[in-house]
Amino acid sequence: MSGLLGVGGGVVMVPLLVMAVGLTQHQAHATSLAAVVLMGAVGAATFGAEGEVDVPLAALLAAGSLFGAPLGARIMHRAAEGPLKVAFGVLMLVVAGMLLWT
Amino acid sequence: MTLAVAAGVVAFGVLVGLLSALFGIGGGIAMVPFMVLLLDRSQHLAEGTSLLVIIPTAIAGVIAHHKRGYVSFEHGGILAIGGVFGAFIGAKIALSIDEEMLQTVFAIFLVLMGARVIHDGRKTAVREAAGSSEGSAT
Repeated sequence: MSGLLGVGGGVVMVPLLVMAVGLTQHQAHATSLAAVVLMGAVGAATFGAEGEVDVPLAALLAAGSLFGAPLGARIMHRAAEGPLKVAFGVLMLVVAGMLLWT
Repeated sequence: MTLAVAAGVVAFGVLVGLLSALFGIGGGIAMVPFMVLLLDRSQHLAEGTSLLVIIPTAIAGVIAHHKRGYVSFEHGGILAIGGVFGAFIGAKIALSIDEEMLQTVFAIFLVLMGARVIHDGRKTAVREAAGSSEGSAT
């Protein structure tokens, strides 16, 4: 799924680690990231072999993302999460619609 | 790529980092549509590029969590053995199907994830409401 969709796959691994192995949510999230590193490498190499990777673009996104993640972790507890999540979920549905439209 | 576009991409990267920490979703789900819809890249290129971005961000995450002792390398390793195989097969499938088809598959995944985030948000909202009324009662 990770390779097919270009995403990490934590969405599948975290529940698996919690339910099947009995890790806590936190442990499962952290552990899935370790697997994501290797899966990302194999996926990126496979796409890269066909010329389907834009390295400069990836570098810019990674630079921003490495800066944003600790910031997000810090404000996580302050934000009123519920309504924000619902709004974000709706945005995801809109984006999905745009992808289907084009 | 002009400097303005490059700056925009970095800014979006910051947003991706924020979003993934805030909503518990991976960066790929935000980056792929961004590259397809706003940067006019193909679905295939967007996915390949997203996977490359995921490597350093996941490493940073592992380091941060490992310090607090949350990472089980034993389970991570077992997952990775299967995951690496799956990632290879998945990428091969993605590369073998056409643009429109791959975009549709991704959009369906996005709808499912969107529904999950909305469901999560409603649960959190209910809990927050219960928490705040408890707080005022005591």
